[in-house]
Amino acid sequence: MVLTDRVHRRQLLGAAAGTAVAGSVLAGCGLFDDDPQPAPQPDALQPVLDEALRLAAAYDRVAVTQPGLQKRLSPLAEDHRAHAAALAALIGVTLPSAAPSGGPGGEAAQTVAALRKAEQAAQKTAVAACREAPAERVALVGSIAAARAAHAEALR
Amino acid sequence: MNAQMAAALAAEEAAIYAYGALGVKLTGTGDRTEARAAEAIHRNRRDVLVTRLAALNAGTATSPAGYQIPFEITDRESALKLAIQVEDGVAQAWRAVLPATQGDDRATALSALIDSAVRATRWRRLGSVTPATMAWPGRP
Repeated sequence: MVLTDRVHRRQLLGAAAGTAVAGSVLAGCGLFDDDPQPAPQPDALQPVLDEALRLAAAYDRVAVTQPGLQKRLSPLAEDHRAHAAALAALIGVTLPSAAPSGGPGGEAAQTVAALRKAEQAAQKTAVAACREAPAERVALVGSIAAARAAHAEALR
Repeated sequence: MNAQMAAALAAEEAAIYAYGALGVKLTGTGDRTEARAAEAIHRNRRDVLVTRLAALNAGTATSPAGYQIPFEITDRESALKLAIQVEDGVAQAWRAVLPATQGDDRATALSALIDSAVRATRWRRLGSVTPATMAWPGRP
């Protein structure tokens, strides 16, 4: 889409200003501008964000299949959504409407015991991120690690 | 870093004091076992902090002259309420250590934050306080 727009713009410029100007515009852009940019390095906290979304979705699924657990599980799902929102704002990404698929983080969790294991795995991710995080991010990630540990306790 | 660690030390001292005061109002064996374990953990952390602060030449922080219990402990319910409040306070103190530290000191602070969040949740469950968790443990 972007490429098409560029071509159109160039064609328009060329048509309006003549080949000499169009040529200089092309030279100014450089051929490599049209190559797809290399994917930017994902943010170090992206895995923590992905897990928060997957866990929230996993809680929602279990609450649907086992409605009796909804009251117990929904505050935990809300915690994960709060984490996801804060992480997305910090990283500067838009929250997807659906949880990312694949990878660990409660994808296959169908039971409370499975949710608990997923929380423990997610806690490890947050702990690792916390150890490496710069000072301005570490408190937020530390709280997320602690919340995940507390969730696992609440599911005992 | 020293200021944050000194604040964590004060929080740990307060926790030790509070567990001593609230333990007598707890009923069941489960409650008491949990309180004893928690107090031992806080004592251990206090000792680690004193050693670490001494190594940093921060001087031995003076113990709080007299920790005030924020409300009267009259029964199991108020005892559990204080236990929850104490763990939340300890979590806050250790969370503040995180940005001021790296490496082993940060790992110590994170472990303490996590432990207090877990203990607070355990006390909320024992006291049937809902929700038993919070989104941001340690956030003041």
